[in-house]
Amino acid sequence: MRVLLTGMGGQLGTRVTNLLEATDGFDEILGIDLDPPRRRITRAEFHRVDPRDRRTAVRLVRDFEPQAVVHLGIFEPNARSGPTAARIGTAVSAVAVLGAAAQCASLRRIVVRSGIEVYGRRRGAATRPDELVAPRPTSPFGASLLHVERVAAEAGLAADVPVCALRFAPVVGPSVPSPLGRYLRLPVVPVGLFSELPFSLLHQEDAAAATLAALDAGFDGPLNVVGSGAVTASQAARMGGRLPLPVAGPAWVAARVAAEVLGAPLPLHVRELLLRGRCADGSAARSALGISARSTPDVVRQLYDWETVASVAVSPS
Amino acid sequence: MTEVAGEPIESMEESTGLLAGVRRRMDGDFDVDEWGLDPDLVHLVNPVLAARWRIEVRGAENLPVVGPAVLAFNRRFGLSEPWVLARGMRISGGRFVRTIGIPDVAPVGPVMRRMGGVLDRPDEISGLLRAGQLVGVPMQRQVRPRAVAGELTVASLEPALATGAPVLPVALVGRECGRRWRVLVGEPVQPIRRAGPLAAAELAESTQARVQALLDEAARARWPFG
Repeated sequence: MRVLLTGMGGQLGTRVTNLLEATDGFDEILGIDLDPPRRRITRAEFHRVDPRDRRTAVRLVRDFEPQAVVHLGIFEPNARSGPTAARIGTAVSAVAVLGAAAQCASLRRIVVRSGIEVYGRRRGAATRPDELVAPRPTSPFGASLLHVERVAAEAGLAADVPVCALRFAPVVGPSVPSPLGRYLRLPVVPVGLFSELPFSLLHQEDAAAATLAALDAGFDGPLNVVGSGAVTASQAARMGGRLPLPVAGPAWVAARVAAEVLGAPLPLHVRELLLRGRCADGSAARSALGISARSTPDVVRQLYDWETVASVAVSPS
Repeated sequence: MTEVAGEPIESMEESTGLLAGVRRRMDGDFDVDEWGLDPDLVHLVNPVLAARWRIEVRGAENLPVVGPAVLAFNRRFGLSEPWVLARGMRISGGRFVRTIGIPDVAPVGPVMRRMGGVLDRPDEISGLLRAGQLVGVPMQRQVRPRAVAGELTVASLEPALATGAPVLPVALVGRECGRRWRVLVGEPVQPIRRAGPLAAAELAESTQARVQALLDEAARARWPFG
């Protein structure tokens, strides 16, 4: 199978590439991203393409004639790029790659990375929505993800192929560039004084395994992929030996500025998660893809379980 | 079967448990489920709840030991009833009840979620039942006359039919400002039909009648010559 993979330079994209390379049946793998892969790739071909460069992306896709598209080219605000660049990059990249892929007669299936941010957390919204709950995002990142899902659905309709939208819980880890991960690793973590609802997380390995399983299964429709259980922000901070600092109202402005100065900017979707929580029902993905994700408390523990200084043995020769 | 619970316990074990609970909270080493229930916190406030309500539970054997169920219960003012039901079921069956109808407004909503409250949404109830939880569904408030079961919202029972979860009638007898409460759990209500537009409405009617029967039975037990 010829697989086109966008977002190969991200943590998730690189891991999925390595898994595809190690799996029989994926003869050709072409990857595109703004950044190069984070680990060594053995047989996949990588092209460094700016997500706003639609012409180059379209040409690469048409020339490759993919049988499967794995679209992981999603830019989370304040992960690797600012909110505006993330929004534009996500939108342009989705239209270019999925639009071009839909015109290829070879296309058989599409898998896109989305997130449970699409459900939104407005007052009265379902606390643990399943895939039947209509998405109504309440953050710019959620809106971006929903746009990608709609572009993918349109492409799937045009090409008459199944489209699986993987709605991931926030993926955090020691080496994952995530605004939530950076925020929770601050020495003092501002949390909501009056409102603090639980959220679920997803381990990066489980996200990669789910992507591969979805590619293999050819599932048609959205699937929530979340770790079992949940934690609150202050609980997560305490698990990491951090000090949760309850704040409310205008104090959030000061907390946001302080966090940004310390290298952990707080985008809207992360603030929403801290105050309103973010969970989803992942039972459909477990039965459809046969995956069993690590629990959210385990993901939090591994977020803090990293070396601040790593000793590297260097040979003088 | 009758069980009485609610006496405040002042023992060394309780104090040790409280200290361990506080320590777990400081370390973040406690569970919170996706809907916000915090069993550790419920345990910590247990002495307060025990001092407030003395609860007698009858028919606890009708509760499923594991798996989902809908508990349809009557209420007058609706202030004590959710707490009485939740505490009664926890003591008699060791299970938490997720009562629907909390406001999604801080700070009340988040606090109520910690104690087991959930939103009144059919998809919320469906998710809880799929996860094998006990869901408390209150009937309409019925202040006067007393001991009359109010109507059940039909939409609240549709998830039970969709998931196949049993519906149990529960009568709560007590005074808002009083301490003694009785909880009577009836046998599961068998739906007349499992599907179709009428199924939930008929199930709601049957359940209301069964709760009323339990309330009448409780009144007879109180006034043997009346």
